[in-house]
Amino acid sequence: MQSRQDYYVPEGSYWPILGSVGMASLLGGFASSLHGHTAGITAMILGFGIILFMVFGWIGQVVHESEAGKYNLQVDRSFRMGMGWFIFSEVMFFGAFFGALFYVRQFAVPWLGGAGNNQFTGEVLWPQFKAVWPLLNMPLPDNYTVPKGIIDAWKVPAINTMVLLTSGATITWAHWALVNNKRNQLIGGLIATIVLGIIFLGLQVLEYGEAYNHLDLKLTSGIYGSTFFMLTGFHGLHVTLGTIMLIVILMRAIRGHFNKDRHFGFEAVAWYWHFVDVVWLGLFITVYWL
Amino acid sequence: MSTTTTDLENEIAGLTGTHGGHDDAHHGPQKGLLRWVKTTNHKDIGTLYLWFAFIMLLVGGAMAMVIRAELFQPGLQLVEPQFFNQMTTLHGLIMVFGAIMPAFVGLANWQIPLMIGAKDMALPRMNNWSFWILPFAGAMLLSTMFMKGGGPAFGWTFYAPLSTTFAPESTDFFIFAIHMLGFSSIMGAINVIATIMNMRAPGMKLMDMPLFVWTWLITAFLLIAAMPVLAGAVTMMLTDRNFGTSFFDAAGGGDPVLFQHIFWFFGHPEVYIMILPAFGVISQIIPTFARKPLFGYSSMVYATASIALLSFAVWAHHMFLTGMPVAGQMYFMYATIMISVPTGVKVFNWVTTMWRGSISFETPMLWAVAFVILFTIGGFSGLMLGIAPADIQYHDTYFVVAHFHYVLVTGALFSIIAAVFYWLPKWCGRMYNEKLSKIHFWWAVISVNVLFFPQHFLGLAGMPRRIPDYSLQFADFNMISSIGGFAFGASFLLLTYIIVDCIRNGEPVKEARVWESAKGLEWTVPTPAPYHTFDEPPEKALILSESSHIHHVSELAGATAK
Amino acid sequence: MKYIILLFFIFIIYSLGSALYYMMKDGEGSKRMVKALTMRVGFSIALFLFVIFAFWMGWLTPTGVK
Repeated sequence: MQSRQDYYVPEGSYWPILGSVGMASLLGGFASSLHGHTAGITAMILGFGIILFMVFGWIGQVVHESEAGKYNLQVDRSFRMGMGWFIFSEVMFFGAFFGALFYVRQFAVPWLGGAGNNQFTGEVLWPQFKAVWPLLNMPLPDNYTVPKGIIDAWKVPAINTMVLLTSGATITWAHWALVNNKRNQLIGGLIATIVLGIIFLGLQVLEYGEAYNHLDLKLTSGIYGSTFFMLTGFHGLHVTLGTIMLIVILMRAIRGHFNKDRHFGFEAVAWYWHFVDVVWLGLFITVYWL
Repeated sequence: MSTTTTDLENEIAGLTGTHGGHDDAHHGPQKGLLRWVKTTNHKDIGTLYLWFAFIMLLVGGAMAMVIRAELFQPGLQLVEPQFFNQMTTLHGLIMVFGAIMPAFVGLANWQIPLMIGAKDMALPRMNNWSFWILPFAGAMLLSTMFMKGGGPAFGWTFYAPLSTTFAPESTDFFIFAIHMLGFSSIMGAINVIATIMNMRAPGMKLMDMPLFVWTWLITAFLLIAAMPVLAGAVTMMLTDRNFGTSFFDAAGGGDPVLFQHIFWFFGHPEVYIMILPAFGVISQIIPTFARKPLFGYSSMVYATASIALLSFAVWAHHMFLTGMPVAGQMYFMYATIMISVPTGVKVFNWVTTMWRGSISFETPMLWAVAFVILFTIGGFSGLMLGIAPADIQYHDTYFVVAHFHYVLVTGALFSIIAAVFYWLPKWCGRMYNEKLSKIHFWWAVISVNVLFFPQHFLGLAGMPRRIPDYSLQFADFNMISSIGGFAFGASFLLLTYIIVDCIRNGEPVKEARVWESAKGLEWTVPTPAPYHTFDEPPEKALILSESSHIHHVSELAGATAK
Repeated sequence: MKYIILLFFIFIIYSLGSALYYMMKDGEGSKRMVKALTMRVGFSIALFLFVIFAFWMGWLTPTGVK
């Protein structure tokens, strides 16, 4: 390891404050647009633009510093720890939604149907309610969109599982290429992963279209629709982010960045991809299928 | 204030000749206000955090004054009930997310690099961002008060459906403020972990670290595990409110109690997020003024870790009255009471550290001793609340209010004040006014007990929390409590004066080791701490001789002989 | 059946965890890490194939509505 004195402490930077301004504008704008203030939408777009500018500027500076050789191995380890713990925080975020799903399925819905010591709750509140999962008839259907059916796990979702698992394999293939110094295989693996990611997103969009247009399965379809769309939607958002990051990494790989010993950028995105991949497996089994 | 420090720092830099020839940020601070906006220096960022927390403390305190003024006498006296509810809600939120948590992150920023011999935090630019989100989030939270329908008025725990179906428009701003605060905390915590795991001086083992560093390491883990769950909870609230989901609506198959489960899965670790660093601070201060090494260092570490792990398995003790199955109540009751074992270990160790020490009572020690006694009172009332059948009587009464104010005010806040008195001379190179500080201490410690102790009785007698009016039999204790409250609130004006006076006109301190028997690497750098410290890592012998406990005696002898 | 799937999940998480460990331990370009990641991809695919197989054999039934 190089000496500790070389640990790079960057100069003061405007990126963070810019990020805060963008974030406040985006979220504040969002909140006011929810209550019919049209200026909110402008603020939202402005904030989003600022954040985009900040992210690319900040990361661009980091890439630049990295390629200039300013980061020693210790800096690198800080980055990797940061990335690892960030992914852990994402896992906990998904954990909240998975937890909600399990709680609803195990406790809330059966109790509404009168299970446990809740027989009177069922009788008094909604006597016609039957606790089944997937919950197509909610206790008070008038307030919600009653779906005609649910997405068949063995159609698009199964194909999507294959697509995403294959993309896990291709990113690992690219990873092997990188540690063995095979540039072309690295680029090929990255392209394959990106293509698979885009296919996945496309199929997901088709599936949402099917759900909304033909099945009447919507975000407003009671707790089933809520958990279904929030879990798969946040996952889709993460796949989108991952795909964008993969494209950036592909550009860098084409420009000749990274070598077999120094490739934090690649590693971070690869880890992120493994994370969305495993989350999908959980989703496929617990949301779509069981 | 900034000019004074800058001058002093330049002086120090001139004296010690610490200017290196590196191309990264190795020179002194930039001039002017932009220094604070752009800074990547852990000391600057620590200072920002601490001032932000202090301002928020005063804002939240002002709200508490409104609450106590309204409760001074029965009947509606000063404010509308709706406004009263906004006050209780915002007071809680601001104190938790705006004052206590940022203050501890500020202490972490200042102290962790100094205590582990690192030259800065591991991810300095991100460190800046963690702070600079806070003013925006705080402003967004406070702005809700001025919106149509008023600010959030559903209590700091924002239970559904109060916060979903029946809440004002401003709740969406509140939700996003929470998102931002959570984002900031997660980034701050990631930085703390990366710093502690990666930036320790070579040769410093984990078990050589000062306890403040240990408790922060564990706290950071709790933050990263708990804050995203809160983000999930408020996201579900947002979609329930605006996009027609039914997570917390039984009519759609959801469950309002689900909100409480998710909230408290975050909320209980959150409680320890606010108290574990306090344990760390106290474990630094007591050995210094008792002039004895900390008793049971490793048991302190293990106790902290087990408190943290248990904190994820006890959340539903906040929900004994939700109609949980009896088996669930039993489990959560026993698991909760189990936490008193490691906590007891800690209190025992602090007392034993003082036992037969040659104690002197400088201001930081006074606060630390007050912490041990008063926090223990809060711990005991927590035990009472943890007993499921008894909780039926205590639940949502002033007994709960008294309990968590004993642990959070005389616990967490007292430890922060202790820490500021303990390290302020090192930070600014000036000594506070000892006489005034002692007057302030006794003023605060007496008034805080006048404020919160009667609330135990009110709660036991059945006075519910979060109400602007109460029946007549509660009048006397409420008046006493309010008088204590006003006195305690006023004590912070004196505290402000003491701190500002110390920074501006305090007696200059020259000794590196401000407290003669203090141990730790932070006492080996010059006073005031220069802008950049530990550009060269400390020697192993120094690390060992400064470690706050004695379990390397032979190693230490060998190292010093070299 | 549930337990077999759970077991697969444990394998997957375990190989991810060990990859994480190797990443911190060996630093960048760790072959052990990439191997562990390969294992996790392998386990995932095996799990999926197993689920298809079990479904085909009739050992598992999905939550069918109709």
